[in-house]
Amino acid sequence: MSTGRLFGKNVLEGVFRAAPDEDLFLGELLVAVDEATGRRYLFRIVDVTYGTEHREPGWAERVAGTLLVDDARGEAGLHRLYDQSRRTYRVASCRCLGYLTPDGLDFRRPKSLPTQFSRVVAPEPADFAFLRTRMGDLPVGTLRSGETEVDFEVGISGKSLASHVGIFATTGMGKSNLMMVLAGDVLRSAGRYGLLLIDPHGEYRTQLARHPWAGERLRTYAARSLPNTSSLKVGLAELTVDDLRTAYDWSRPQEEALYELEKKFGGEGLSWLVAFSQVEDLPGLRDVELNGRVAMNTLQVLHRRARRIVDLPCIAADSHVSVGGAVLRDLREGRVVLIDVSGLGSTEELLVASFLARRVLEEWSTDYLEDPEAHERLPVVAVVLEEAQRVLAASKDRDSNVFPRVAREGRKFKVGLCAVTQQPKLLDGELLSQFNTFFILGLADEKDRTILRSSSKQDISALGPEIQTLMPGECLLANLDAPFAVPAKIHLWADVVRTCPPPPAPRPVVAANISAMVD
Amino acid sequence: MVLTALVPPSSSLRTAADRLAALLTGGGGGLADAGNGHLQFDAEIRLRPLVRAAAPPAEVWAVDGGQAVVADARCLQLVVARAARTCFRNGECAVEDEGELRAYLLGGREDRAVAAGLSLGIAEDAAVDLNLLRDHEEWVAVERCIEEAAPGAMVLVDGDLEPDWRVPPSWLTELLARAAARDVVVAAVIKRSSLSRGGAPLLGALEIDAARELGPRALWWAPVARSRAGARVVAARLDADAPYAFRVDVSPGADPEEILARLAALCDDAGFPGYPYPLTVADRLAACPGWLRQDTWYELDDLLDRAGVPAEVRERAFADRHDLMERF
Repeated sequence: MSTGRLFGKNVLEGVFRAAPDEDLFLGELLVAVDEATGRRYLFRIVDVTYGTEHREPGWAERVAGTLLVDDARGEAGLHRLYDQSRRTYRVASCRCLGYLTPDGLDFRRPKSLPTQFSRVVAPEPADFAFLRTRMGDLPVGTLRSGETEVDFEVGISGKSLASHVGIFATTGMGKSNLMMVLAGDVLRSAGRYGLLLIDPHGEYRTQLARHPWAGERLRTYAARSLPNTSSLKVGLAELTVDDLRTAYDWSRPQEEALYELEKKFGGEGLSWLVAFSQVEDLPGLRDVELNGRVAMNTLQVLHRRARRIVDLPCIAADSHVSVGGAVLRDLREGRVVLIDVSGLGSTEELLVASFLARRVLEEWSTDYLEDPEAHERLPVVAVVLEEAQRVLAASKDRDSNVFPRVAREGRKFKVGLCAVTQQPKLLDGELLSQFNTFFILGLADEKDRTILRSSSKQDISALGPEIQTLMPGECLLANLDAPFAVPAKIHLWADVVRTCPPPPAPRPVVAANISAMVD
Repeated sequence: MVLTALVPPSSSLRTAADRLAALLTGGGGGLADAGNGHLQFDAEIRLRPLVRAAAPPAEVWAVDGGQAVVADARCLQLVVARAARTCFRNGECAVEDEGELRAYLLGGREDRAVAAGLSLGIAEDAAVDLNLLRDHEEWVAVERCIEEAAPGAMVLVDGDLEPDWRVPPSWLTELLARAAARDVVVAAVIKRSSLSRGGAPLLGALEIDAARELGPRALWWAPVARSRAGARVVAARLDADAPYAFRVDVSPGADPEEILARLAALCDDAGFPGYPYPLTVADRLAACPGWLRQDTWYELDDLLDRAGVPAEVRERAFADRHDLMERF
């Protein structure tokens, strides 16, 4: 049965008329059937308005006024609207997403007009068959048409993790659930992909542990003493001044003082922080050792921070207890590595994240340059960072910051970023353009939507109202694989855990038949 | 444009306005119908409250006509006319018939051939114009409705129960008699009445009187006259929120109050309170909008081309010389 009839407008935009009671939704996917060419044009509704056959200005307002006055007088029903289904209707404005060739095998971008007055109908499962090969091996949800879920799985390719993923939503729209679903996919990928997930709130540890594959493929490191976790220890010798510069805000004199102190104390990485933090005679250090080149106030700030860093429970003076190597090993084996930094401050969290991201980038890039075959075997790894605007804002784009480097260079080394933020407007536009995959959940702020519009790999310019009205768990997936921004409903983590089959049992080892070896 | 003292006093705007003011505020005076000299007016017009019937007639037909000039060479005109019919049964539209678009060539000797082809008792030598042709289509459609209507039905006509002067009065009298015999009532609703009292428009004056006497939301009616065919001519306001009252002609033999009460039950559309909704449908169906005129012209041009009329001849025959004065 027809939903409507197409009557306008151009190659990229369609307008169709539907019955006044046709329940049309923003984001609904519909098909215009062109009987003349056999093509099926896929449309997405971007707006719905009222229409009337009465051309007199103010007709509809007048009718509403008459009915309203009846209500006010307690005479509802005194007037009615004869032939309402003929005189009034709905007009749906659509974006043409493309068309299916008559054989149903090929989907092409819109370059021609469907025949005017073509029937507009609900899509059939076969209309989405072309998407099947483009939905990758990391399923995240089901295709959504308006508010209706279509029995068709939507996802991304694991390889696309290397070309960076952005997850954008305001609070409560389902970021954490989506993140866990993605992590669950990586757990199930049996080593093809790795995920380094920095969790500042400790919200993923117990949830991810419920996944049937967690026992084999999840490693959790925690800054606090928590059950079933390894202790998160970062050796000072493995940290660099650049990590400090990424995590903390430093003034220019403070940064120069850092290098002065590094030169003065020497040693590996930031191991000198221990000695510096134990200095009691700061004026003497300043006047004698540093020849007065550092202001006293500056030195005091650095000293306070050094003492705080050295005292952090996750910081170890002994490099041998550092987890850096273990984390890299886990990632090389394609595991999900959860770094639970709950209990640490925001800056310390960034210090840990910067250290680990830098180590991953260095390790993967070294293999790429020095052992291409080994690099070929490495899994694609994504570093997940919450509140990504803290390190990907324009003001943070410096050589010392490893995250913009990952965004710009990580793809060729198979290292990607997964940036999660409520405020994409705070991200640097140039860095955002490096992200090939966007998961856009509900975003109320127009400025947030504007920056995503300019960086998205699919045209989402007309989808502002739809993004504004997304419900929790609903999202738009825009990447280079799908030919348009795909509307999806993200799986619930609880359902993923419930329905995911356990990993296959290890193949039993056949006992050696000793007698057969004895002659 | 400014009218100056050089203009003769008798044709100045001020003089006309003074006269108009006298007519509009004079009150009283004789009844007349500028468009029809055959009405027999009642001695007195008395406003009466009207109570809407609980339900409209189970079957209601409505007829309206439309016309257009497709090609105009002044000495020759190609015109089209049609009459649309609609039928509502139990409040639902059951028939929508926009009517066949009939084309006529008018002018000079052509009129006679056209007149000869018309029915309704129109004389073969009658002068023919577009109004007659539309009226002819309408009354043929009314006749069909009466024949097809179920007993107890109502047939609504857009206009009055006074056909064009070239249609013999006896034809209508006989038609209304046939309708009465089939228990079918014919009612005509006139949107542009020429009834007057003391030279001033009657309906507007009655609307003001009724609001004062019966209240601003009252339904009312007032007998005004009888037509040559015996139809009762009344003024009526058919909905509490109707912006206007209308002249309504009711076929002879029927009780006008009862007919108006049932008619009022059809006038409750929120878009057009006070006007029978089926007539608005017939009006829409019969309309000959610009695109239809254009379409018919293209078809005519094609037929002329096939008949061997050169393009230049076609173009020059129907060129609108007024275009010369068009300015950007």
